[in-house]
Amino acid sequence: MGTVFRLTLRQLASRRRLAIVVLLAAIPVGLSALVNAFLGEEEDFTQGFVDTMVNAMLVGLILPIVVMTLATSAFGNELEDRTLNMLVLKPISRLAIVVPKLLGSIVIAAPVLVGATTAVVLIALGDGGVRAAGAASGALLVGVVTYAAIFTWAGLITKNALAFALVYVFLWEALLVGFLPGLRFVSIRSYTVGVMHGLDDTTFAALGDDALTLPAALAGAGIISAVFFLLTVRRLRRMDVP
Amino acid sequence: MTVANGPTIQVEGVSKWYGSVVAVNDVSFEVYPGITGLLGPNGAGKTTLLHMMSGLAKVSKGEVRVLGQPPRGNHELYRRIGVMSEHEAVYTFLTGRELVELAARLQGVEDVRASVDWAIDTVNLADAQHRTLGTYSRGMRQRMRLAAAMVHDPEVLILDEPLNGTDPRQRLEFEALMRELAARGRTILISSHILEEVETLASKTLLIVSGKLAASGDYRAIRRKLDDRPFKLRVVSEEPRKLAAALVGVEAVDSVAVDPDGSLIVLTSNVGELQGSIAKLARDAAVRLYRVEPLDDSLESVFSYVVER
Repeated sequence: MGTVFRLTLRQLASRRRLAIVVLLAAIPVGLSALVNAFLGEEEDFTQGFVDTMVNAMLVGLILPIVVMTLATSAFGNELEDRTLNMLVLKPISRLAIVVPKLLGSIVIAAPVLVGATTAVVLIALGDGGVRAAGAASGALLVGVVTYAAIFTWAGLITKNALAFALVYVFLWEALLVGFLPGLRFVSIRSYTVGVMHGLDDTTFAALGDDALTLPAALAGAGIISAVFFLLTVRRLRRMDVP
Repeated sequence: MTVANGPTIQVEGVSKWYGSVVAVNDVSFEVYPGITGLLGPNGAGKTTLLHMMSGLAKVSKGEVRVLGQPPRGNHELYRRIGVMSEHEAVYTFLTGRELVELAARLQGVEDVRASVDWAIDTVNLADAQHRTLGTYSRGMRQRMRLAAAMVHDPEVLILDEPLNGTDPRQRLEFEALMRELAARGRTILISSHILEEVETLASKTLLIVSGKLAASGDYRAIRRKLDDRPFKLRVVSEEPRKLAAALVGVEAVDSVAVDPDGSLIVLTSNVGELQGSIAKLARDAAVRLYRVEPLDDSLESVFSYVVER
């Protein structure tokens, strides 16, 4: 597994891709720093910050785009470059290919996003925001894993995985889940927000109205991750490899 | 389980279709130790067959066995076979050595360093092993891919168009290597769309055309069939009807027709004899001969002829 994992890290960590990921993650950090510099200690800052920076920007936009950039390439690049046969024609199980591919995306995305989230929260809340930073980081980590599971699968089933991922993020997560509250039970964004609120319902109280409970959010994220992980293994077992 | 004295690869009634497109149609053959050539024009179904033999593609109908076992999803079998796919794709960010090391580690080779050294030396790329594959020429890339395919010293090597991009010297080295491996009892199946490649290498040839097995066996017998086929020639002259009248009397000429553009379309079963006599015939008939050109000398038409017979 270690060999495929190292290969995946080198595949995904191209200079261009890393630059995109880091730049995307730096956007909310930079904006938070700007807002903090201009607004200082104004009372409404925390509320606005939670809604805009963490919920709308980090969870709703940066998280899925960063994970999409990495996870769709985990198998997508192999298929596009026709190198997947170099892995599947070896005496290793399909599981031993899918696990490191999935971990590769997570290992690159998680530190960047968790780092950005921690920075954003601490810039806004200062020393009093340690718990909130932990809650937001934990929630982002859950989001990273779940999105990675879906987008890794997408990279294997379609050549247009990026388009699939964009439709998923903007149509399903942003539009449909927003209009039809019942869909939040099958929404990664809702799981992420649910974990965040569940871990710190004081700082993130504003998210509480529609948030899933912590157990429900964790269970949902776990089930979705497991289902798409198994679908990826199944697909790799059954597909004709070009 | 190695099949002692038996076929290493068995393909029985194998078909493969994608939707309504039939890529391989009811093909059966056996491959024994030594070098076997899988010959056919581009799009004939060679790669699809090799993919089924290596387990990359599902068989729609029929059965494939390699070393007595079905290859699809058979991880343990992959310790005993080496596959080099048609596409020249590699991980361009790896060095040549890293590619071979990757293959060795995934194959579970015990002494990775020694095996990698051997494989790279064998393809004569030790000097370039620390360069990234992105900087390699096509021929070098093919050779390093071959090293990766054979780093675990497999019993069976399945090579899809391995000579693509190689220069004449590299081809000679490749041929020598294949002969050496064959002499050690290895089974080597090499696909190609170039007649001469297979002619010089393979002791047995499988000819695939339009997804069907058109012929199999000794290459020379197949070659004779190919050479015996009727040729269609276009003959451009000053007075086509006069030349046609003269050509009709030649034994090697099967038929002559006048094309609407004024040229003659000549069908001959002995192109050599006709080429030797047509100039004299035109001179004797006092007809100025401008051009003689083959109309169906493409590889596809040559292969198609064998299928139709």
